[in-house]
Amino acid sequence: MTENNFALFPNSLKKQGDDSLLIDWNDGHQGILGWKHLRGNCPCATCRDERDKPANPFHILKPSELVQPAPTSLVPVGHYAYRIVWNDGHDSGIYTLESLRALCQCQECIAKKTTT
Amino acid sequence: MQPQATMPKLSLPNIRTIIAVASGKGGVGKSTVSANLALALAAGGNKVGLMDADIYGPSMPTMMGINGVIDQATTPLPLEKYGLKIMSMGFLVPPTQAVIWRGPMVHRALTQFLSDLDWGVLDYLVIDLPPGTGDAQLTLTQTVPLNGSVIVTTPQEVSMIDARKGIEMFKQVRVPILGIIENMSYFIGDDGKRYEIFRHGGGAKLAQEYSVPFLGEIPIDPKVAESGDEGLPIVLKHPESLVSKAYMALAKSVISELGTMVAPKELPKLEL
Repeated sequence: MTENNFALFPNSLKKQGDDSLLIDWNDGHQGILGWKHLRGNCPCATCRDERDKPANPFHILKPSELVQPAPTSLVPVGHYAYRIVWNDGHDSGIYTLESLRALCQCQECIAKKTTT
Repeated sequence: MQPQATMPKLSLPNIRTIIAVASGKGGVGKSTVSANLALALAAGGNKVGLMDADIYGPSMPTMMGINGVIDQATTPLPLEKYGLKIMSMGFLVPPTQAVIWRGPMVHRALTQFLSDLDWGVLDYLVIDLPPGTGDAQLTLTQTVPLNGSVIVTTPQEVSMIDARKGIEMFKQVRVPILGIIENMSYFIGDDGKRYEIFRHGGGAKLAQEYSVPFLGEIPIDPKVAESGDEGLPIVLKHPESLVSKAYMALAKSVISELGTMVAPKELPKLEL
């Protein structure tokens, strides 16, 4: 059953310091993702909509936006994603494994993104 | 794919295997397949439950001959009939009343069906999904430890277009696909000839396209609709019919596929 062999899988997740997440993937890749980067790329509909809007030059920062993003929980969703609850109270982002890999900020992935 | 509420994974230790029956398209016979598959599994001596996850258009009360709203004060849910434990929204709401709910209510109802009812010990729980790739599908794939899914299609391309969407959804949420079944595959006339009313071979083609097993063909027989409307599914009413034999074979194929399947690994957790 080829299609049921879901290839990409994290072997482990670890915190690195206070600002990033390390993911050891089953293909040997070691990924690193900053919490700020993850929060800024939240896949929920509200956050996507916000990102798609033109920048508001009169945007007034809320106190919650001044706090460095950090997760208060990160739990598996089914067998395909993680749900992150953030310290600003936002909790509707479900990060699929594929999206976590695509958001990787390791040097190798950054180099690939800049060359493509 | 967004959650509707906080959704911890349900722990259902008394239910050994959970199978979702799905299709992208409505009207392909999902509920008929679910009911008859559940009965065919039970005929093999298994303890089987049947959960109707179609909150907006439940079919199980009619198909299983359970009419009228159930008084929960006197009758515990899930109901028992034909050796199955059965739950449907149709037991709670009169058939003439529309359930007009947004996603979070559907999520709550489905999780309650699973976690708040005493299903007892089951070998198999067959879940009849509504058509599409919406709230019910998301809730179940995110909160229920599904062992596998069966995709129902009819032979023609218009059904397969939506079946592909169902397959893609299960792939994306990493629920193993046990296989594809072609319903309404052919008709054997009184003259003994085979007529392929809705064309033929779509299910096998789809299975090949996605490298998943083809679980078989269920022929068209007017007795299927008659039995369903009568509340006595064809597997029970006409066990010697070609359709019933196809369902018995389907149950065997499903059990066999489950036996060869490696259960999906749990994702590692992160302690913060």
